[in-house]
Amino acid sequence: MTDALPSPETVVVISAFALIYMLVLLRKTLQGKFDLYDFLMLSMVAIIPAGFALFPTLAYLVSHLTGVVFPFVVMFGALFLVVFAFMHNMTARLHRLERQNSALIQEQSLLVLELQAKQGRQGVDS
Amino acid sequence: MADMGLGMGINTGLGSTDTCRDGAAAPPVAASRILLIIPCFNEEASIGGLLSEIAATGRGYHTLVVDDGSSDATSAVASCRSPVARLAQNLGIGGAVQTGIKYAARQDFDFCIQIDGDGQHDPRAIEMLLDAHRKDPTNITIGSRFIHHAGFCSTRMRRAGIRLIVLALNGLFRGGGRITDPTSGMRLLDRSAIAFFAKAYPADFPEPISLAWAMRAGLTVSEVPVEMRARETGVSSIDGLKSASYMIRVLGYILLARLVRAS
Repeated sequence: MTDALPSPETVVVISAFALIYMLVLLRKTLQGKFDLYDFLMLSMVAIIPAGFALFPTLAYLVSHLTGVVFPFVVMFGALFLVVFAFMHNMTARLHRLERQNSALIQEQSLLVLELQAKQGRQGVDS
Repeated sequence: MADMGLGMGINTGLGSTDTCRDGAAAPPVAASRILLIIPCFNEEASIGGLLSEIAATGRGYHTLVVDDGSSDATSAVASCRSPVARLAQNLGIGGAVQTGIKYAARQDFDFCIQIDGDGQHDPRAIEMLLDAHRKDPTNITIGSRFIHHAGFCSTRMRRAGIRLIVLALNGLFRGGGRITDPTSGMRLLDRSAIAFFAKAYPADFPEPISLAWAMRAGLTVSEVPVEMRARETGVSSIDGLKSASYMIRVLGYILLARLVRAS
């Protein structure tokens, strides 16, 4: 079976998307909206398709090695893997933040109570 | 004296003059080291009556009302008679109860007793919990509706669900006695249980899951029969299809608690 190569139009469209998306991500990272981990994981959405489009021989090599007939299946598999890894870490991070948020709210309420009790005692003393 | 601080029943001054015009005073200082934790969410209609009932027992219990982000006058009404911890956001019953437990741990209380702010629990039953603990000092003493089946025992559907939770808890954990009412919100915690739950308390379905966590950690649990009343105000958050989802998730959490090693 002859390996079909992506057309120049496909390569241009995917490369343009990758470039624009990377620039957007970079801007948001520099603005402090994403950290480096977010930047790395989200940029995979651009890097992986661009890699498959720009280096088709490598894409076919990977698909042959993994025993998958179509390289785009490998590409989507890789993308899903990245997305799942990102979601997994994000869920853990969200859970941790939720717990910290709850603990902070509890602490704040207890500190207010303590402050009011101290003020009450000072009022009684004076 | 360790409890000369927050556990003195100081009026925190959060109440407005409108809500406090009945002239109710903060409860008298008592020597006992028992804290009643009353988690509340929009309970302005019932919290005042409940605190009056507690005062009427004449036991001088320390109380802490935990206002779980109410949008009504719960805090204002409660602060006439009790210290109130106001949570800036609604954390749910688990977060509210743990706030009270943390307070009990820091103020060095010997026991804390959780009772609902909706009027379902009769404050006179508090003494029964304490008596039961004196006779059989377990770490957690639950006020159970289902030992004598007296008073309000919930709907048939919910009782069936509770039975499933009971089967799971009694089958998977060995915590001393046989639990009949794992969803009861009326329970006594001793110092060990206070220290344990101050560190970690489940946010979701806290009553049954906290028992699973406690028994996994080797804490002991016993029950005493109490009568509960139908809630005075508000509606249960677990109704209709939510009941099925509740059951599945609670059973899943209990199983998970069994599988995961205690930290």
